[in-house]
Amino acid sequence: MNLYKLELMKIKLSTYLWAIFGVFVSLLALGILFLFIFQIEAGRSGTSEEELFANWNGLLALTTTLSFAFFSVLSAVIATKVIISEYCGKNVVILLSYPVNRKTILRTKCLIVSGITTISAFISNILVIGIMYISAHIFKIMPQMNTKYFVFTVFLSSFFMSILSSAVGIISTTFGWRKHSSVSTIVCSLIIVCTLANCITISLSSIIWVMFVISAVFVIIANFIYHILANGIEKMEV
Amino acid sequence: MRTIVDINSVEKSYGLTQVINHCSFKIFEGEIYGLLGINGAGKTTLMKMILGLQQIDRGSIYVLGQKVSNNPEYLSNIGSVIENPTFYEHLNARELLSMHLCYMQKKADISEILHLVGLENADKKTISEYSLGMKQRLSLARAIIHHPKLLILDEPLNGLDPIAISEMRGLMKKLTNEGISILLSSHIIGEVRHTADRIGILSDGYIKQEFSVKEKISEFGEHFEDYVIRLMRREQI
Repeated sequence: MNLYKLELMKIKLSTYLWAIFGVFVSLLALGILFLFIFQIEAGRSGTSEEELFANWNGLLALTTTLSFAFFSVLSAVIATKVIISEYCGKNVVILLSYPVNRKTILRTKCLIVSGITTISAFISNILVIGIMYISAHIFKIMPQMNTKYFVFTVFLSSFFMSILSSAVGIISTTFGWRKHSSVSTIVCSLIIVCTLANCITISLSSIIWVMFVISAVFVIIANFIYHILANGIEKMEV
Repeated sequence: MRTIVDINSVEKSYGLTQVINHCSFKIFEGEIYGLLGINGAGKTTLMKMILGLQQIDRGSIYVLGQKVSNNPEYLSNIGSVIENPTFYEHLNARELLSMHLCYMQKKADISEILHLVGLENADKKTISEYSLGMKQRLSLARAIIHHPKLLILDEPLNGLDPIAISEMRGLMKKLTNEGISILLSSHIIGEVRHTADRIGILSDGYIKQEFSVKEKISEFGEHFEDYVIRLMRREQI
């Protein structure tokens, strides 16, 4: 517990909390915009894209995908400060001189990045979709779903999305560490996000299963890649 | 006298370049050992090897009888200031030292240490507001606060004004009186001459010559620095 406190002392947590709030506000604004798009554009374009905004399955997939994209990149940004700047900057000399197991420090740092990402992404997505649902109910602009099923779907898809975001953060960190570059970390997360965002929307009606499979695969990959990172840092020379 | 550091036939290469080559020396309890060498002689590499930050290709390093490693017990006996010290600049001195103590799993009186290095009036300022000299003092405070048995100082007087240098020398002497051994590296002869008890000249990757400062000063008098320069130039004496 002490190590978590010490690692958190090294960063200005308030900066990242404001960034998370900014992401939440942006997602909420986009979510509300999506709600009204179908009302304005209904039947005008006649394209399949219009269907994406026509029901809750589409809106849920769209909002969750956007949350995933935003929070994956945010996770990489936090990782550049918490992990990359420490191990690739000048602080590494003092960090590796501490009588604490190198892998323990790295695990603490990774858990901080994953913890911040997972919790903020989960809460933010639930709040955004919840506010969208309440707004739709008030303005009676979307067909209502079975509330229990809707809550279940939102809860699970948000959970898998938040886990996936933090897995992307860890994978990007390892690539950034190998390149000794913060920019590489963020670019790597953007590449993964661009690829995965298209996969999430392949089946709008079964978003839970899609999210589950993708997040399970990426958690396994992240775990494997984390061990490469940990072994690299264990043998690291400065 | 008790041996604190025992470096035995250590070798280190970067690719095809051999930086440290059969280097051996010992540091005893309560002494200041000055490591002199030209830029690129391998002083920092040697210090990093003692700290376990660089792997040893061949040979061995023991500190207090323990072989160099990353294990907590080994590292908790060493304090160091390597290269230009860096800090978490949004913290103040008290927060930084408190964080350092937590990592070292030790307890100490932070006010006492800050007083010792002359930063007692600046402990509320964030480190970003510190001058270079204040940062050097803070790095020394960080290196000694956990009461190490061995202090490794890589060019610790860089950026200090003459008064601060004099105070720092006094502080180092005081620490050795408390039983701390100091390994001090520099390429400035005057810096080491006034501080160290013994000097080792690091040249061609090994300790070319090792001597007591007092003895050589009494032997060479005012030509002491010329003598050392000739050694550093690899001239035969």
